[in-house]
Amino acid sequence: MDLVQKEHERLSKRLKANQGTKNVQSTIDLLQSARDAIAADPSQASITLAKLQNPVKSSFDSINDSLKETHSGLNKYSKSLDKLFKDRPLPSTEHDVLSSHENLINRAIAMHLLREGQFSVASTFLAEMTEKKTGVPEPGSETISPENAATLLNPEEVPSNEVRKQFATMYYILHELQENSNLLPAIQWSRDNKEILQARGSNLEFELCRLQFVWLFHGGQIPQTPVASGRQAALEYARREFHVFLPRYLREVQQLMGAMAFCPNLQDSPYQNIFNNPSAWADVAQSFTREFCSLLGLSADSPLYIAATAGAIALPTLLKLQTIMKAKRTEWTSQNELPVEIPLPPSYLFHSIFVCPVSKEQTTDENPPMMMPCGHVIAEESLKRLCKGSRFKCPYCPSESHPREARKVFL
Amino acid sequence: MAAELTSTKLNAENHLLLDQPLLKLPYELSRRNFKSVQRLVEREKDYTLPALKDTANASLSNTQTPEQSLAALDAMISRMQGLKRKMEGLHQEEKKIHDQSRKRIHHLESLHHIPSLADVKYDQWSRVRLDRLIVDHMLRSGYTESAQQLAKEKDIEDLVDLNVFVQCQRIAESLRRGETKDALQWCSENKAALKRSQVRPSVRLILPSHRHLQLALSIEDQRQRLTRHVQYNLEFELRLQQYIEIIRAGDRTKYVDAMNHAKKYLTPYIDTQSAEIHRAAGLLAFPRDTKAEPYKSLYAPERWSRLSELFVRTHHELLSLPSRPLLHIALSAGLSALKTPACHSAYTSSSSNSLSTTTSVCPICSTELNELSRSLPYAHHTKSYVENDPIVLPNGRVYGQHRLLEMSKKVGCVEAGKVKDPTTAEVFDESEMKKVYIM
Repeated sequence: MDLVQKEHERLSKRLKANQGTKNVQSTIDLLQSARDAIAADPSQASITLAKLQNPVKSSFDSINDSLKETHSGLNKYSKSLDKLFKDRPLPSTEHDVLSSHENLINRAIAMHLLREGQFSVASTFLAEMTEKKTGVPEPGSETISPENAATLLNPEEVPSNEVRKQFATMYYILHELQENSNLLPAIQWSRDNKEILQARGSNLEFELCRLQFVWLFHGGQIPQTPVASGRQAALEYARREFHVFLPRYLREVQQLMGAMAFCPNLQDSPYQNIFNNPSAWADVAQSFTREFCSLLGLSADSPLYIAATAGAIALPTLLKLQTIMKAKRTEWTSQNELPVEIPLPPSYLFHSIFVCPVSKEQTTDENPPMMMPCGHVIAEESLKRLCKGSRFKCPYCPSESHPREARKVFL
Repeated sequence: MAAELTSTKLNAENHLLLDQPLLKLPYELSRRNFKSVQRLVEREKDYTLPALKDTANASLSNTQTPEQSLAALDAMISRMQGLKRKMEGLHQEEKKIHDQSRKRIHHLESLHHIPSLADVKYDQWSRVRLDRLIVDHMLRSGYTESAQQLAKEKDIEDLVDLNVFVQCQRIAESLRRGETKDALQWCSENKAALKRSQVRPSVRLILPSHRHLQLALSIEDQRQRLTRHVQYNLEFELRLQQYIEIIRAGDRTKYVDAMNHAKKYLTPYIDTQSAEIHRAAGLLAFPRDTKAEPYKSLYAPERWSRLSELFVRTHHELLSLPSRPLLHIALSAGLSALKTPACHSAYTSSSSNSLSTTTSVCPICSTELNELSRSLPYAHHTKSYVENDPIVLPNGRVYGQHRLLEMSKKVGCVEAGKVKDPTTAEVFDESEMKKVYIM
């Protein structure tokens, strides 16, 4: 990388000097002065012209020289690029499964744009897609609403209109929350979805209300209000709203009330981190986003982002594998599984993974993990191979069991 | 164990795999620019030096009046000024390209200062990369408007090659409409480079096994068995198409034109494309609605879309652009790396589903990518990865004990001493939890 930078720097310098144009100018100057001389004294024409030959020639030579320099500069730069990317061709295109799923990719991109709040780009994108699909020429595209495009886009599961509206709502709520410190839309949303959220074991509503309480306590819209009135407002809010939380969050509510007593000296009280938590707003926004997306069956972070990043992390390994396979002329035998392990950061592991300790294979629907009475788990195929239909000893402990007693587990 | 399974190490050099076109494209552009300058200078030199000599000789031998000499000098001066003007224009362009490269180098360089994949800065960097990839994909698919808008919103206009792709799309589109003018003009602009790429097989990045540029159309080759061993050459194909169009018009008087056209433009390729040329000659004997192969396929209107594809490939080839969107490459690797057997399982996974707050939804299970990743292989793992205090519930579901208890406490409507399965919502007694051993 340093080399590339250095060569680029060198090219820039040469570019700035702009030697070529200067040389051309000096040639012009030569011709011009000869012309002036002849115009002034026509009798000297032949001598002046004869004298002109060599200077013009050498001036062309110097133009060429400067071009040569630029050329060698370009070549050096190109070499440094080659060096940087040496032995790292992009993986071959042979297994390009994705190209046949253009639609799905476009859908994923559209969703990603919506998710990132790029509504205008998303609608342009959808409009352009519809245009391409229907083959409607330019002028017609104005009348097609992105809504239609969305339905055209995915005949199957996702009602994209709906998703679009949902995301618009989400961004409205987030905007209110982050820019205007207005928690009310978020609280309203969490109340509307109370039952589902509760079933999920989500604390969102309470967290939002608690933050609202803290916010009121600090004076709400006007942070300079005297402590007493802020406390008053918070207390009123608590009386009005908190009773619904009592069964589930008794302890937390008590904490908030207890904090009232420490009011003048909150900084040194045990409640300090509830009331002066700088990341509280960001945390709440994040957990709101997560809940919101989960209710739509979507992951909290953009899957496209995670997948592309994971791809960039995985590529060097896959590429190495490809080179090795090519060198050894072996084929990639396991159709369903990548032949090599790819180390990803821990945050990229979402599912639990069970690798059978006997067969060293990952369990699948066809070959599920089975738990023996002793609590050890192996894959079903390994179990069948071990027991041969009769009682057998667990490969990990002395206990014996019958294959009938083994139970399928879900990880 | 965890150290082998996961890694947050960031190897910047390796990581730039996807970003080669980012620097290579501007390089190719500035190379092209340089070639234009060279050609211009060469042309003026070839004109000026002999002209000057002639003028001097003429003046010496007194066959020319001073006025004529002056006129000749004036002509030279004005040509040189024209050269200067053109060079300055190219210089400006060069500067722009250079600026772009600098920003791009800076962007790539910044990756080298990021210590690990878990770093917040990496997250930002990677988001910029995703935006770049999306723009690249949009441009290649012809969604120019969206691409421009996105690039603008994200302020990454210097990191994507809008103009190059817009031009490419425009020409490809004109070919699909049945016009050869733009494509031929592009060919003549890039004549030298096109020749170079035929001689230099090493420019190939994507399909190293293919020796020649023309062979890049291997899919087309299979589709068109009859013309299988032909090496494709964009300009030849374009000229051939023009020839076909003249004959298609069906006017017998035009056949002379067609033959002249063939003589002028097709015969120079006789060494490499003789079979095609002979076939083209045979075409004269067949009407446009002929059923006889190979003439039928020569008349076929699909030939235009094939030409368009050929153009796009040749174009990308010339500018060291990969033949398929980078996003596809990144996604197919990434989806596989993330995919687990659980992602398309008939049973809801206990560890990652949208039913409870204790887990986050896996991106592969998320609706956007689920269908897309169905046909891809899943990641290889050699070690199990579960929470470290797993218990099994009577319904066979495995959870981390701590997390399960924690969650049951928060969930409403569960009495003390009971736990609720976050996936199935069944409620069990705490004593029913059983330790499970996963190796």
